[in-house]
Amino acid sequence: MSKEQKKAFEAEGRAARKHMGLKTSQRISNTFIYILLVVISIVWLIPFIFILLQSFRVESTNQVGYVIPQQWGFKNYIALWNSDFKSWYLNTFIIALVTAVMQTVIVLCMSYTLSRFRFKLRQPLMRFMLILGMFPGMLTMIILYRVLKDLNMTQANAVPGLILVYIASSGMGYYVSKGFFDTIPKSLDEAARVDGATRMQVLTRIILPLAKPIVIYTILTAFMAPWGDFVFARYVAFGTSSGYNVAVGMYNWLNKDQIGACFTMFCAGGVIVAIPVAILFMCLQKYYVEGVTGGAVKG
Amino acid sequence: MASVKLTGVKKIYDKKVVAVHDFDLEIKDKEFVVFVGPSGCGKSTTLRMIAGLEEISEGTVEIDGKVVNDLQPKDRNIAMVFQNYALYPHMTVYDNIAFSLRLKKVPEDVIYEKVTAAAETLGITDYLLRKPRALSGGQRQRVAIGRAMVRDSKVFLMDEPLSNLDAKLRNQMRAEIILLRQKLNTTFIYVTHDQTEAMTLGDRIVIMKDGYIMQVGTPTEVFEMPKNLFVAEFIGAPKMNIMPAELTKTSSGAYSVKAFGVSIPVDGEKGAALSAKNAKNGKVLLGVRPEHITLTEAGPEAIPVTLEVNEMMGSELHLHVYTDDGMRLIVRVPTVNLDNETRKSLVQGKKLYLTFSGKVMHFFDPKTEENLLN
Repeated sequence: MSKEQKKAFEAEGRAARKHMGLKTSQRISNTFIYILLVVISIVWLIPFIFILLQSFRVESTNQVGYVIPQQWGFKNYIALWNSDFKSWYLNTFIIALVTAVMQTVIVLCMSYTLSRFRFKLRQPLMRFMLILGMFPGMLTMIILYRVLKDLNMTQANAVPGLILVYIASSGMGYYVSKGFFDTIPKSLDEAARVDGATRMQVLTRIILPLAKPIVIYTILTAFMAPWGDFVFARYVAFGTSSGYNVAVGMYNWLNKDQIGACFTMFCAGGVIVAIPVAILFMCLQKYYVEGVTGGAVKG
Repeated sequence: MASVKLTGVKKIYDKKVVAVHDFDLEIKDKEFVVFVGPSGCGKSTTLRMIAGLEEISEGTVEIDGKVVNDLQPKDRNIAMVFQNYALYPHMTVYDNIAFSLRLKKVPEDVIYEKVTAAAETLGITDYLLRKPRALSGGQRQRVAIGRAMVRDSKVFLMDEPLSNLDAKLRNQMRAEIILLRQKLNTTFIYVTHDQTEAMTLGDRIVIMKDGYIMQVGTPTEVFEMPKNLFVAEFIGAPKMNIMPAELTKTSSGAYSVKAFGVSIPVDGEKGAALSAKNAKNGKVLLGVRPEHITLTEAGPEAIPVTLEVNEMMGSELHLHVYTDDGMRLIVRVPTVNLDNETRKSLVQGKKLYLTFSGKVMHFFDPKTEENLLN
């Protein structure tokens, strides 16, 4: 073996060892990361698994000192079906659906307007809404209740009242979608306008198809907020079961007089409430991530 | 097909910044007019005002004799090609071209005929089902042109359509636009900052600076008779050499010009024009294009210079030289006239001697910068 060949051979050996060393350290760090993720997932999943298991427990409706049910069945779900839960679920669904549709339309129109039009009070309006958004929504609760009461939109009529309250502040949530619209070149609007499109056609045929992730994101967030709301819903529907949403209705099952008879039914209700949201997220997860991160960096 | 008339058109931003000043221009039916000028001269703003994408602050824009100031872009019967193509990314090439027709509710079979005909003209038939992201820059530009073509508009507006293409593709597309113009036979308004594009494409060129029209004329007119120093320097590549000189009228009535200590008689049409204008003796700015300067032997009528940079352009050399008093000039020398030895000898620091004829001179007033012969 000549000197040069020997040198080359040694260099190759060094590179291979370095490569292997890198591989091993990478493997160790990956293993550590996966273990950590599995532990975190288990911690996160425990409450969900607990609720799921309790919902199928038949032997007792009260809280018990073990997790795995001794007797399995759908008794709690059947009891749920025969209770007021049905009307609460319907109330929640109507509120969330109408709010999601209306809020999405309002937010997208607002975002498009602020992104594309230049008018006199545009900047002050955006600043005003930014400041207004810094105040917690709870501050408005008393006055909103008064207004809704005067409009006869409380207690039994809580559903339209809550829809009105949720929709009224929709315009404030324009930031994310405006940021996304800003990244779509204006020349696309201009090309469409020259091609014969009206402003509305530009929005519906050009901008919205391009902003699909942000539309999905807006729909999901608009649906989620009223779906899980408790404080406002309880306040507006106070004391009238027909005006409750699921969160308020089910909460009442947890008071000390009822918990013994309703705990497993509460768990079954929790599972039913989670189903539509989980399905929505699973179907639209891809768009949701794009929507949340979109607009941060120009693509 | 239509004429376009702009009368006293002004664009003022925020009641302060005037981007376009009193723009007056009449574009004839089927004419190809090019707006050219450096960045920020107002050429694109003027085009966008014609398109209806920019509000007109003052004045009127007429298309086919009808004032269109208050009409939406869609109602002006214009088609426009944008610098960045502005293709709809979520639509296929076919849908992009068909978009305007679908908005007009044209029957699908007519749309199919029009789109396929346009695609064939532009050579993009194979790409009709692709999305814009799967196309090259040249193909995208063809789609943008196709989208404008199918509209059968009265006026075709193009806003720097070739700026995003590489040099080779730009030359190819330029030739294609000339052919397209012959096929479409409609009124074209084309905006560019590239004087070569302006010279090769336009029937007339509108040269702009700081929102003002500097000159309107055919390519030959603006090249041979620039109205002022700006036009003289802007049109032509490399740009015209401008040097301080002294104009003198001899006792015989003939003119001569003295630059860098060398006196050159002004003869031919230029001399006659100076006589006709009865130009006075005095300081002038002398303009000579790089291709009109020739290398010569040392002598009393030769300007001595030193070679600074020799740019080999293939068929010609661009020699960047400076005179004894530090004035920089550019000389364009066709390589066909040079033997190998001379070519090799043209290195930095070489002493050269230049001359030029009185027939090719341009004279500008040092104060107003206007052409003395205008």
